[in-house]
Amino acid sequence: MNFKWKKRYTAAVIAAIVGAILTVLTYFATDIYQKDEVAVITDSQIKDTLIEKNEDVYKNQDQTRQQILHLKVLSGKHKGEKYTTKNVYYPSQLTTQQYRAGQRIFVNIKKGDPAIVNPKRDWVLVMVVTITVALMIAVSGMHSIALVISMAISWALFYLVIIWDVHLNGTHIILLFGLADIVLSFFSLLIVQGFNKKMLATWLATILGIFVSFALCYVIMHVTGESEMKYETGDYATQDPRGLFLAQTLIGILGAVMDEATDIISSLYELIQTKKDITIRQLVHSGRTMGQEIMGPLINVLVLIFIAGALPETILYLRDNNTLASTFGFTLSLGATQSVISAIGIVLTVIFATGCSLFFLKDRDWKSLFKKEGENK
Amino acid sequence: MSTLMALIVVLAILMTIVGGETGIRSFFSVLINTILLILVAMLISWGINIAILTLIFIPLKLVTIIFLGTHDYTVAKNSFYSAFIVCLVISLFIWGCQYFAQAAGLGPEAGELLVGLSQMPGLDYPMIAVTVAVFSTLGAIAEAAVAMSSGLLEIKKHNPNISEEELMSSGTAIGTDVLGTAMNTILFGMFGSFLALFLWYFRLHYTIGEVLNEKLFVNEALIIMYSLIGVILTVPLSSFMLSRGMSKKGLKNESRKSDHN
Repeated sequence: MNFKWKKRYTAAVIAAIVGAILTVLTYFATDIYQKDEVAVITDSQIKDTLIEKNEDVYKNQDQTRQQILHLKVLSGKHKGEKYTTKNVYYPSQLTTQQYRAGQRIFVNIKKGDPAIVNPKRDWVLVMVVTITVALMIAVSGMHSIALVISMAISWALFYLVIIWDVHLNGTHIILLFGLADIVLSFFSLLIVQGFNKKMLATWLATILGIFVSFALCYVIMHVTGESEMKYETGDYATQDPRGLFLAQTLIGILGAVMDEATDIISSLYELIQTKKDITIRQLVHSGRTMGQEIMGPLINVLVLIFIAGALPETILYLRDNNTLASTFGFTLSLGATQSVISAIGIVLTVIFATGCSLFFLKDRDWKSLFKKEGENK
Repeated sequence: MSTLMALIVVLAILMTIVGGETGIRSFFSVLINTILLILVAMLISWGINIAILTLIFIPLKLVTIIFLGTHDYTVAKNSFYSAFIVCLVISLFIWGCQYFAQAAGLGPEAGELLVGLSQMPGLDYPMIAVTVAVFSTLGAIAEAAVAMSSGLLEIKKHNPNISEEELMSSGTAIGTDVLGTAMNTILFGMFGSFLALFLWYFRLHYTIGEVLNEKLFVNEALIIMYSLIGVILTVPLSSFMLSRGMSKKGLKNESRKSDHN
């Protein structure tokens, strides 16, 4: 492979530079926040003293430490004022926070007393988003614009769904999130693939995969009487936890099913491009083979997302001498159920994706249409 | 029978019907993968060094996901090498970013969860946050590596005389699709995982500035980005490795594959 400097690398460098500037601007931003004031820790070395060593009832050993912080407020009506405050933390940093010299933080000043709210973290987000976008442009070129737009639209639509859900106060939640699935998948696929038969085939397979599997799981849950479903263990529930669980499942499954349908259908499509005389039988066989290859890893992606997120809590429960069974019930069972329902969706989608690609691609007239689109890319 | 068990049984049956032997192995790969995660949680809770545990469990989990989940040895081997290299790079990256983001532990919202639990567990939660991020990312990387390798291999199978150049350009085409949709898996997976948290922010009238600096939100958004970066790095690496490996040896020389690398 001879390495060629391509246009997209230049674009990636430009994106990286713009992002770096944005990162610096975000780091130094002070007056854009509505609620809390930005302050900077002026110490070059923070005085950090041990107050006591602790051992709790579970024989966990930890420390209580205290930092003396000198703050200079950088925004709001207290701008320019200096304060000295204490920060008590435990080195585990489960719920407490250790601060660093020269760091920018948020404070809430009431009656001359600054309460530390959070470290300033947004610039890290901007930095990592910059790196992601720059790499994406370097690898997939102009196509990544579509990906970034698709991602932005997904966030926006998701935000709208949340507003709507709050407006409905959690009623009709299955209907709402089912509708959200249909709309979100349509836009995601439209932006990435453009409006063509390949995209419609993928969309159809996605919708069939989601709703057939969700209906199947709903029936199973109903038949088994939803036994041992501890909806109340769901975190941050602000509305009916059962509805919330079903909504989380409907949204969580969408991406994976869409991913899989796209992988299978676009690979079968590439296959038809490279081998013109393929038979339906070979195509079905290839689809099934691809599905078999992708199914396991894809299910693992979701299992890892749904279960790894609960690890900090799980570790804490286990640390505090809970049995594995009760820990599982409290922290993992909902995530595990969500994973299994998603897995069923992923398995069924192999069938729908292969079926849909056959339905659209077997017709030779359609094939010539595809060829033109392929060349235009 | 509890609902979870019933669902697992249905899943096992479906995977057997659709996937055949590979399906059964995939089922066990998911099962073992889950057990490995719980094992990591137990080992960490016993106070074993978290960084070392993470380094040991990365290849273990990749082997479980890739070798058990796929039936083609060439796909599996190529995927494993690409995914492992990417995972090591991304782990370092995550470690660096988590240092700056300081988004470890449970949020202040978790108050009610913590009733009766120790707030001073004597564990290094910043390091646990790195581990969680690495494991959340690892699945997406493995998946992308397998999708890339198996897609390219299908093309090679049906068109054995394809040149390295053509294969690389097919790789870019597949890679773009894999990237675009891996993004969806990750994004919606995270949405599905943290819908309740987003509703919480909205109902409690958090400002945008607050949300963007809030520990849990930053943590989740960063995990989405880490996963994307992992997938992005996997695309060129796995098509490069597969096209180079195949043009050297050719597909038919499976027996000589073992001395490759």
